[in-house]
Amino acid sequence: MDTNLVEMFRAGLNWVTMALDAPSARVVLFGVRIQWHIFVEVLLGFVIVILLSQKSYKPPKRPLTEQEIDELCDEWVPEPLIPPITEDMMHEPPVLESAAGPHTTVNGKDVVNFASANYLGLIGHEKLLESCTSALEKYGVGSCGPRGFYGTIDVHLDCETRISKFLSTPDTILYSYGLSTMFSTIPCFCKKGDIIVADEGVHWGIQNGLQLSRSTIVYFKHNDMDSLRSTLEKIMTKNKRSKNLRRYIVAEAVYQNSGQIAPLDEIVKLKEKYKFRVILDESNSFGVLGRSGRGLAEHHGVPIEKIDVVTAAMGHALATEGGFCTGNARIIDYQRLSSSGYVFSASLPPYLASAAITAIDVIDQNPDLLVKMKQNIALLWKGLKDIKGMSLASDPESPIVFLELEKSSGSTKEDLLLLEKMADRALKEDSLLVVSSKKSFLDKCRLPVGIKLLVSAGHSESDLIKVSESLKRLASELLL
Amino acid sequence: MAKLYVKAVAPPDMNRNTEWFMYPGVWTTYILIIFFGWLAVLSVSGCSPGMAWTVVNLSHFLVTYHSFHWMKGTPFGEDQGIYNALTWWEQMDNGQQLTSNRKFLTVVPIVLYLIASHTTDYRHPWLLLNTLALMVLVVAKFPNMHKVRIFGINADK
Repeated sequence: MDTNLVEMFRAGLNWVTMALDAPSARVVLFGVRIQWHIFVEVLLGFVIVILLSQKSYKPPKRPLTEQEIDELCDEWVPEPLIPPITEDMMHEPPVLESAAGPHTTVNGKDVVNFASANYLGLIGHEKLLESCTSALEKYGVGSCGPRGFYGTIDVHLDCETRISKFLSTPDTILYSYGLSTMFSTIPCFCKKGDIIVADEGVHWGIQNGLQLSRSTIVYFKHNDMDSLRSTLEKIMTKNKRSKNLRRYIVAEAVYQNSGQIAPLDEIVKLKEKYKFRVILDESNSFGVLGRSGRGLAEHHGVPIEKIDVVTAAMGHALATEGGFCTGNARIIDYQRLSSSGYVFSASLPPYLASAAITAIDVIDQNPDLLVKMKQNIALLWKGLKDIKGMSLASDPESPIVFLELEKSSGSTKEDLLLLEKMADRALKEDSLLVVSSKKSFLDKCRLPVGIKLLVSAGHSESDLIKVSESLKRLASELLL
Repeated sequence: MAKLYVKAVAPPDMNRNTEWFMYPGVWTTYILIIFFGWLAVLSVSGCSPGMAWTVVNLSHFLVTYHSFHWMKGTPFGEDQGIYNALTWWEQMDNGQQLTSNRKFLTVVPIVLYLIASHTTDYRHPWLLLNTLALMVLVVAKFPNMHKVRIFGINADK
């Protein structure tokens, strides 16, 4: 192959040489052999002289003629300011008109609420309302400042100590917005050049944090420990420099997008084998999993010191707002100066912090709330076991009951339209508020969409039976 | 009475991509680079001087065609992309044609061609290659070719 090309090149060169050396190129004039190159050289000499004698000028700017202006105007098509509105964008979520407890009001009608993450039924609890009102009377509404600049109030410190005592960790730090907890913590510790192994089903807050950290992100299959093991193996063996880089595993305790529970004992085993650090988001498992509600670590019997960074949003089981991060004293202390959400936002309003303290006290003193919630989950599972056209895709112990379509149409938009129709009919016909998974444009999660039911300890047995009957009926009508 | 009139100076070149060519000594450096390139080719490959001049001529053609007439825009982001459609040659001297810099840069390939073709004794195929290189370079530098893209080659999308 090689020699062929070389041969062809040589042949071509020879041919060119011969063609140009043809006898007709030599002219004899006046008995002297004229060589063409003299002419060429003289010509080039003239070119140089003419070139050097020209004056420099600027090319004139030719204004557009009327005809050109008309042509340009005719063919101009303005770009639309907004993209064309498609059918899935027209969907309006229902608006709640009262507190988001187990029963709420939508459009003046009383509906059973399966769309709020009110796992222990603490919304509207008198003790919480009492502590909120007294805190409001004492401190006012806002805290008017970031934590570092006169925004720290004694309830913040009390809340942090209370959470540390509850989880038996050395220290805690409070954030003022639940979603921003995760996306301030991750870039605080993970910088450009680090390696993060994250689950592909993490929610948008975590995805945002991963993007902000500018580290190298490797996703593993959703809740699949074999995939995690092979990913960690690949990273540690393929790249020789990995030993000098900081390595993290990011997972959620109970995944918001699918209701699965992360197997923490296996993750900790893998972490210790390959020397990674674990960042765990316990938003949906704090106050829910474990015998006394202390989260995923208690549920799996793993000592909480083995997890390096634990974050949680308090807007779920604790029925307040804000978030916290617990762990080693040095990790927490580091965040007090380097975490953007802590340093550059105003601190949590004091009445929310006191509500959080009261909520934790309630959880501590009433373990029957957890028992009731677990019973409700079991009841709902029993009721939805033989639903046609959908299957239960979440963990049997997770408070998020996730119904997946058995036969997906292949396109997320189509599935979402179908599920939203189902949810609308459930609202209109049976007064049930259920939600389908929310997919924003920025969300990169590719898990299948479905109907999410958030079970609360405040739901009564009749509520659960009602929802299972209604969903079974709607599934058989719409999905077959 | 003698200092009544202000001496006008040429406006400075704002384009950082081309203003380095305004410095004194650029022409001499350019010629010296070509000369030392010839010496390097001669010493490394051990071919005849004419062959070395042909090599210098052709590599000069490749380098200057690519950087002057093919690459568009500037490596500096601060100019916000106003030169994104212009090659380096078109940006030179703010678009003014036939300035002394441009004349110098047009004469250099012609002189190189003359040297290369003379020292190879006008033998083919080197003569053909040298002539082609010269034609392309000189035509690209004509003032009438300012902002012209033949057959849409290298035009913007």
